[in-house]
Amino acid sequence: MGTLLIILRKEFRGFFQSPFGWILLSLITVMQGWSVSSAMKALQDAPIPESLVYIVFHMPQFWFYFLALFPLITMRLFAEEERAGTLETLLTAPVQTAQLVLGKYLATLCFYLVLWIPSFLQFQIFGLLTDLDPPFSTGSLGGVFLLIVLMGSLFIAIGTFASSLTSSQIIAGVITVGLLFIHYFLGYITVIYGDQFPAASLFHHISASEHLRDFSRGLISSSTIIYYLSAAAFVLFMTHHALNYRRWKS
Amino acid sequence: MIKVDNLTKRFGRHSAVSGASFEAADGEVVGFLGPNGAGKTTTIRILTGFLPATSGTATVDGLDVAEHPLETRRRIGYLPESVPLYRDMRIREYLRFRGHIKGLRGDFLRRRMDEVIDRCGLGDVRRKMIKTLSKGFRQRVGLADALIHDPPLLILDEPTNGLDPNQIRSIRNLVKELGESHTILLSTHILSEVEMICDKIVIIDGGTVLASDTPSNLVSTMRSAGRISIEVKADPERAQEKMSALDQVKKVIHERNRGNWGEFSILVESGTDTRERLANLAREEGWPLRSLHRHAATLEDVFVELTRKD
Repeated sequence: MGTLLIILRKEFRGFFQSPFGWILLSLITVMQGWSVSSAMKALQDAPIPESLVYIVFHMPQFWFYFLALFPLITMRLFAEEERAGTLETLLTAPVQTAQLVLGKYLATLCFYLVLWIPSFLQFQIFGLLTDLDPPFSTGSLGGVFLLIVLMGSLFIAIGTFASSLTSSQIIAGVITVGLLFIHYFLGYITVIYGDQFPAASLFHHISASEHLRDFSRGLISSSTIIYYLSAAAFVLFMTHHALNYRRWKS
Repeated sequence: MIKVDNLTKRFGRHSAVSGASFEAADGEVVGFLGPNGAGKTTTIRILTGFLPATSGTATVDGLDVAEHPLETRRRIGYLPESVPLYRDMRIREYLRFRGHIKGLRGDFLRRRMDEVIDRCGLGDVRRKMIKTLSKGFRQRVGLADALIHDPPLLILDEPTNGLDPNQIRSIRNLVKELGESHTILLSTHILSEVEMICDKIVIIDGGTVLASDTPSNLVSTMRSAGRISIEVKADPERAQEKMSALDQVKKVIHERNRGNWGEFSILVESGTDTRERLANLAREEGWPLRSLHRHAATLEDVFVELTRKD
């Protein structure tokens, strides 16, 4: 456990020791802030039967920067170690592959959570400044951030996996974007082909946009929670094997 | 300390190491020689647990590297060939991280860091970023990392590769010093380095061990030990013919003429000395004799003879 924490701490600090982490943090803050103010404008202009949280996370720009985030924070993880040769020094130290995978993964997840702190605060500001009840329920705010964590845990695992496949950050990033887009658009299969085929319920089950719709209304489903967590665990398991296999092969 | 037994590593259809066996006793400094692509790095990577062997065993301190990967890695200080480092870290920061993942903590780690920084001559640069260091200093940082957990065995893969003569010298002296208290497996191309430092030499080529002995034994058993140069004033063709006729002479090569003097190289069978008979021959034939010299074989001769492809 000690080794895992050491790797986690080093990786986590790594995000803040270059401008990279700070740029991402400001990017997310600006994008979310923009979403919040446009959502408030939308509520001002016309009555909408949804909460502020729902509208913010259903702005057209949301999925763009949300999905673009993951390749940026994960592509470096193993590809860079492989390119620089430091994977060899890491794996010839008394470190298990599993400790390395989990350490890097959890560090990225922690950094990802930090990225959402400003957005969370933006929702609190409304109540602080206006003395009114915020135009959303605790359930929808909690639900949406729970889903952000859940999607993050799977999507970061996918990015980590892609990074373990190659020594090129660019290729790792492209694979991650590709997999995330495919995952996202699989959720739209039922929109295109309707519900009249046997596997339709499967596509509903993995549809990220449907998850977002439900969670941002405060409808938290345990099967979705289990889906994201178990898929993340599976992808991490694959990462572990991909790393060992690559090492054993070449 | 190291025992490699019939080790084989195949990458697809290509065998990088095939049936290599050698040993290194406690406290020995072993030179690991071979041409590029001979299988040195692969063997080292198996020993350090970075690659698994296809077959055969490698043990470090009596422990199989495949069955006890963490225990054996704790006993090894490894400096990979390319000296991979985190460029954005400072030296102390890097050594602290490496010490941590090798299980060192607190005061003990701090003491070890001071010791290795001192030992590797990094005192003046210890707060610098690694990316600003010269190659020689990076090599020292890699060595400091290999030493930080005070392992009994050091595995150094071409530690002087790409350094300037002064840096080579200082790294070599450092390795020599470390050899007094550590078992070292030193992979290198630089034969003079091996002659100066090593107690034992393992020569590998094509994935198999060709020779494994002390430097002086290797040199004395070499066939090329029997090379003699002679300078006589004589008709070159006749001299060549006469000298070739002597027993135990394998080949006479007419090197060049300097005025009336002809220079010849004579290859003789190993363990024989033909100088006396050559001198007698010159006297009988009435050739003036200016020089007669037997060349001591060098490690280079041994290396070339064992690994030459032609």
